Amino acid sequence: MIDFLDVCERAETGPLMTERDFELKVFIPKLRDVVKEYGIQYDSETPVPADDAAADSVYEASVDFLARVGVYCQDTNRVIQFTEHEIRDAVGSAPGECLTGEGKDASVFRVRQPDDERPARCHVNWGTVHSSQEMAIDIMAANVAHPEAQAISISSVTNTVRGMRVKAGSPLEMYAGIRAVRVARDACRRAGRPGLPLMNLVPAAAAAVTTIGASAAQFGARPTDGWIIGIISENKIDYGALNKVAYLLNWGANIGSQGAPSLGGYCGGAPGTAIVNTAYFLMGLVAMKANYHLCFPIHFQHGCCSTRDVLWLVSTSSQAGSRNVPIPVIWLGYMAAGVNTKMYFYEAAAYLLAATTSGADAVKMPTPAKGVKVDASTPMETRFGIEMVKAASRLNRQQANDLVIKLLEKYESQIPNAPEGDRYQDCYAVETGKPGESYLRLYDEVKADLNAIGIPFD
Amino acid sequence: MQKNEILENLKNAVVEGDDGKAREGARQALEANIDPLEAMQMGLTKGTDVVGGRFERGESYLPELIMAGEAFKAAMEILNPEIKRQQKDVADVGTVVITTVKGDLHSIGKNIVATVLETNGFNVVDVGVDQGALQIIEAAEKANADAIGLSALMSTTMPGQKEVIDALVELNLRDKYRVVVGGGPVTQEWADEIGADGYGRDAVAAVGLLTKLLNP
Repeated sequence: MIDFLDVCERAETGPLMTERDFELKVFIPKLRDVVKEYGIQYDSETPVPADDAAADSVYEASVDFLARVGVYCQDTNRVIQFTEHEIRDAVGSAPGECLTGEGKDASVFRVRQPDDERPARCHVNWGTVHSSQEMAIDIMAANVAHPEAQAISISSVTNTVRGMRVKAGSPLEMYAGIRAVRVARDACRRAGRPGLPLMNLVPAAAAAVTTIGASAAQFGARPTDGWIIGIISENKIDYGALNKVAYLLNWGANIGSQGAPSLGGYCGGAPGTAIVNTAYFLMGLVAMKANYHLCFPIHFQHGCCSTRDVLWLVSTSSQAGSRNVPIPVIWLGYMAAGVNTKMYFYEAAAYLLAATTSGADAVKMPTPAKGVKVDASTPMETRFGIEMVKAASRLNRQQANDLVIKLLEKYESQIPNAPEGDRYQDCYAVETGKPGESYLRLYDEVKADLNAIGIPFD
Repeated sequence: MQKNEILENLKNAVVEGDDGKAREGARQALEANIDPLEAMQMGLTKGTDVVGGRFERGESYLPELIMAGEAFKAAMEILNPEIKRQQKDVADVGTVVITTVKGDLHSIGKNIVATVLETNGFNVVDVGVDQGALQIIEAAEKANADAIGLSALMSTTMPGQKEVIDALVELNLRDKYRVVVGGGPVTQEWADEIGADGYGRDAVAAVGLLTKLLNP
């Protein structure tokens, strides 16, 4: 099996080409070839397919695709190539689980299967921004207080340090990165969950030096947390990512590769994006030595993960991965609508049904308002997500498909002009951390709606 | 071959993203003494309209757009010398320098906007990703650009958009360029706050915005 230094060597010795040529002459045509050769087709009438053979074809296509295309290193302008044998070897050697957290909050993050009756692992909170540190702590503490929460994505806290806007790669990013770890650990302690793993370290860290700097033990980070290293879309990597891998391997910390293929970008439509999303699990194993993966395939135009074609590719690549690639994956969905809107809950229900019944190992509670609005998240979305994960684990793919179609009818046409919704302070009492009457009422109405279409809540 | 058939072939070559067919169609147009500007406007541009419409409706994606753009360029390599020889003017809709700002390596959104702008007749100078304010301004000066498009996909790289505008003000160049911003976390409020001339939520909106700003 190739090791990480082999990857580093290939980054210096692989075929030399411009990034433009890699995109236009390698990535696009070879992906098109693979889609055609393996006969991968999108079926808009079946957003949650239940065809194991089709899922396995997507996996086989993804192995072939990665072997044909490789990974482009932006710093050396060379393509890191892997043989099909090396990719399959990495799959065969993967442990299929990841040890996370400490003390009574320690847990094993394991892979699931399609139609698995075990609930997906509940991954709470969002890497989003708040207007104050106190609000960030209040929301994180409320989210991790749920006993079902087994891991957390920590908040970026605020987007300023002493009034100065945090800027990528600057010293302010280092301050913000360290603050994010300290604040999140404090929030977990306050909720009685000091050992809970922080799985998105370090949020909003563009520079490798920020990730490495914020990992020092005195700030509260541990190797049993999870460290995210982003794949650059599509199929690219740089020295920054490789430096993070080198550091984390030496430390022995959990490495999470992160992939966000864009449906409508270089991947083309849903079939190509499903193949690339699955190939990113493989890329995590073979190129980044990851022991878990986080993904959020996203629609290029709408910036969300709840469109019909994205749901199909989430379901398809989740099945392809969970049946064939033993790496635990966290599925993250960005919703078009925001807090305190019915549309958010319909989107979130559709996403969680598609992912959970398709074998998602962990699901992050869906992010409201595309994750771009300040203060646009509350503990209510976490409560809903946890209830939905439990309900979804009682269903199979066929049942989920029928429900997702009904849900799409409720929100699909509104995606281009989705309501951005409220902020935390608009629908919660900030002093007490309790939801307001109107949000509670809307929540009850949504639950009743969803119960009526057949979602089996407790 | 009839004129209409040649123009239809040019249109189809762009729609199919076939640069070979596009070159062949351009040669046939010149051999048939078709006005090269007419070949462009009534053949090639009709093709980009079809592809652009499909893209806007979510029926085709970036690869089809790029291939259409490449076919358009291939045909124009043959038509352009004749257009120049006949001293005809191609309508100039503007030159746009486009980039993703410092610290940000995301390229797809920026590339989609660049491709859609090109297929709508803009002269696009793509200076890549991770570019600092002075590098971007230098590129705009060199290209004699009319506008600068700035993409940022992370909340921590959005300040890079402000830095470009601040630098333009400091260098007394602000009035020379229209500056438009976009990217996942970017909003109209942010564009207003930093003094940008506009915000485009997606590629199609960006084209509409720049067309309006540069050709009022």
